[in-house]
Amino acid sequence: MGRINRDVVVAVALMFGCGVFFWASLDIREPDYGTLAPATWPQVILAYLLLLCVVYLGQSLRAGSSATAKARGETKSWLERYRNPLWCYALFLLFLFTLPALGMLIGGVLFVFLLLCVIGGFSPRNLVVHAAIALVMVGAMWALFTFGLGVILPQGKIFTVL
Amino acid sequence: MIWENVLLAINELATVKTAMLMVLGVACGLIAGAIPGFTIAMAIVLTLPFTFGMDAAQGLATMVSVYIGGLSGGLMAGILTGIPGTPSSVATTFDGFPMARNGQPGLALGIGVWSSFCGGIISAILLMTLAPQLARIGLEFQPWDYFALVMFALTITASLAGDHLVKGLIAGALGLLVATIGEDDINGVARFNFGSDALLQGFDFIAVLIGLFAFSQLLSDVQDRETATKSLAETKSVRIKIEHGKAVLVLMKRWTNVIRSALIGVFTGILPGAGGSVANILAYDQAKKASKNPEQFGTGTPDGIIAPETSNNATEGGSLMTMMALGIPGDVVTAVMLGALLIHDVIPSPSFIRDEPQLAYAIFIAFFLANFIMLALQSFTLKIFVLVTKVRMYMLASVILAYTAIGVFSLNNVQFDLWTLFWFGIVGFTMRQLGFPLAPMIIGVVLGRNAELNLSRAFAVTTDLTPFFTRPWSLFFIILGLFSTFFPLYQKQRGKRPWTLVYPSLLSICLSVPMFMMGGAVRPVLGALLVALGAYFLIQHHREGWKLDPRASEAHELQAE
Repeated sequence: MGRINRDVVVAVALMFGCGVFFWASLDIREPDYGTLAPATWPQVILAYLLLLCVVYLGQSLRAGSSATAKARGETKSWLERYRNPLWCYALFLLFLFTLPALGMLIGGVLFVFLLLCVIGGFSPRNLVVHAAIALVMVGAMWALFTFGLGVILPQGKIFTVL
Repeated sequence: MIWENVLLAINELATVKTAMLMVLGVACGLIAGAIPGFTIAMAIVLTLPFTFGMDAAQGLATMVSVYIGGLSGGLMAGILTGIPGTPSSVATTFDGFPMARNGQPGLALGIGVWSSFCGGIISAILLMTLAPQLARIGLEFQPWDYFALVMFALTITASLAGDHLVKGLIAGALGLLVATIGEDDINGVARFNFGSDALLQGFDFIAVLIGLFAFSQLLSDVQDRETATKSLAETKSVRIKIEHGKAVLVLMKRWTNVIRSALIGVFTGILPGAGGSVANILAYDQAKKASKNPEQFGTGTPDGIIAPETSNNATEGGSLMTMMALGIPGDVVTAVMLGALLIHDVIPSPSFIRDEPQLAYAIFIAFFLANFIMLALQSFTLKIFVLVTKVRMYMLASVILAYTAIGVFSLNNVQFDLWTLFWFGIVGFTMRQLGFPLAPMIIGVVLGRNAELNLSRAFAVTTDLTPFFTRPWSLFFIILGLFSTFFPLYQKQRGKRPWTLVYPSLLSICLSVPMFMMGGAVRPVLGALLVALGAYFLIQHHREGWKLDPRASEAHELQAE
């Protein structure tokens, strides 16, 4: 156990991923035509990747556990460290889920406003500044793409209902 | 023929709209390059959606302009704040910042601007003259050669990405694997779609690229809570006049440094994976070694600004050369440009310059003109730079995140691309955190389908593997690929271990074998020259009694720092 570090975990996870993909590659249909079967190239890549992962695992095991000794059991500090990226992902996920309902304009403005507030703070002054930035910047981009470049962005069901 | 193409290209670009777009592109590039933490690749990625509505020449001209501006913009932050705007201008800070602090910020900026200009122009001339020749060589490539070239591009990108070669190679293989997802191009059979109809189409590589690179970069920029809420750089109001006249005189006195650094830049750019971030350090190191007063480096000597700024601008000519002549993107930026060409139904390959001369020469001319626009705009953007640095990083990142979403959606007007952006954003950020380089993965995604297609073509001719070793160009790239695998170790141990003394000689002699195999008149002569060069190095080391010199790896250490 003393030799397990972050890289060992990553190497094992990658090897597991290789296994899953290799198993999936066995389901690839073999057509009667062509000289290079559709599964061959992915299987070559997976074999090569597996070989590299074994080397990576060996290197990681040799390096020892110094890298993770500090990190172990520090979930709170990990969350603290990745607070901003986690918020970004969570809000982007929310944006994606609500996109069909809210559309790109409203969804985008809300996404930027919430992200700005979560990272920059919720003080009354910040709320005003963040709302202005979100409205102006997303509104301008939406207008540019819709009217300038002719891109049909998702309108959102909310507009249909209204 | 060349002049005819040049005139046609000028005609294509000579519109007010294109001129305005180029000016805007250079200005945006200059500002983006000047912002610490905001890379040139990011600026190019963000420009891409705007080019969808333009014709190919106009779109590419705009992107080239952003790139030229970005390469030159990094020097403003580097000289005035000591924080390099981009990795391409790291070495500029070594002497640029001390010179500015010594009371000569105008001269430091002037030297930087004119060095960038000279690097760009030299590289543009080389691009225009060498790219068609390189493409002519590329036309000789058969599927075996092209497959070996792609493999070489992947190994060298992995080896130049840093000390972790295995991680680089893993990243490259992951990129190749991602490219296999969806219906295969050859037989139309579904692969790894796990029952999903959306996955059947595969991932749009631009969405993958933006997710991997831009999305993850933005999250890295706001990761630290303190820096996320601070201004981009602590720049006070500055009233600096760029001293153009003095700077030109300084450069004229040091023309050898200019030429040497430009050539280093172009050569580094030609190598897949090595860009301005490698070139500026290499050129700085060479300038220091060639200088009569190396002890002055780091104190504010003009040579220390000329070398990195000339070389980093010259790299773009080199990487455009391989992208346009062989269809191999040298770095993330040219990968995006390749994407832009594909969007406009233009496939960069060895026949690109022959088949699309108007577009190819339009890129050359745009590259040339953008350097002049950059020169004219520097003073103006200096004022905007000071204003932009007052913006807080989290504000910029949040707005850009929304912008990337809109941009990615406009690729194909499908929401699945937004999910691709999201998932690859997570992959990219995780890879960054775990120390995996992203460039090999991006190159893998971009070139994966090409590699498979050529492998399939090769197998259609014969299932025998020997042509990979009997065809000269294929063997040439296999040798380069093998040697590039050991390159990181060579860089690290250069002058410290005996084997590093024979590495260049061995490479030279091995490369001569395919050159002799190619036949003709010129190539065997080049092969003989390579043998002679290898023998010369060996004899020289023998005369010196195989003496080791640890100072030889200084450039690598500088880069690692």
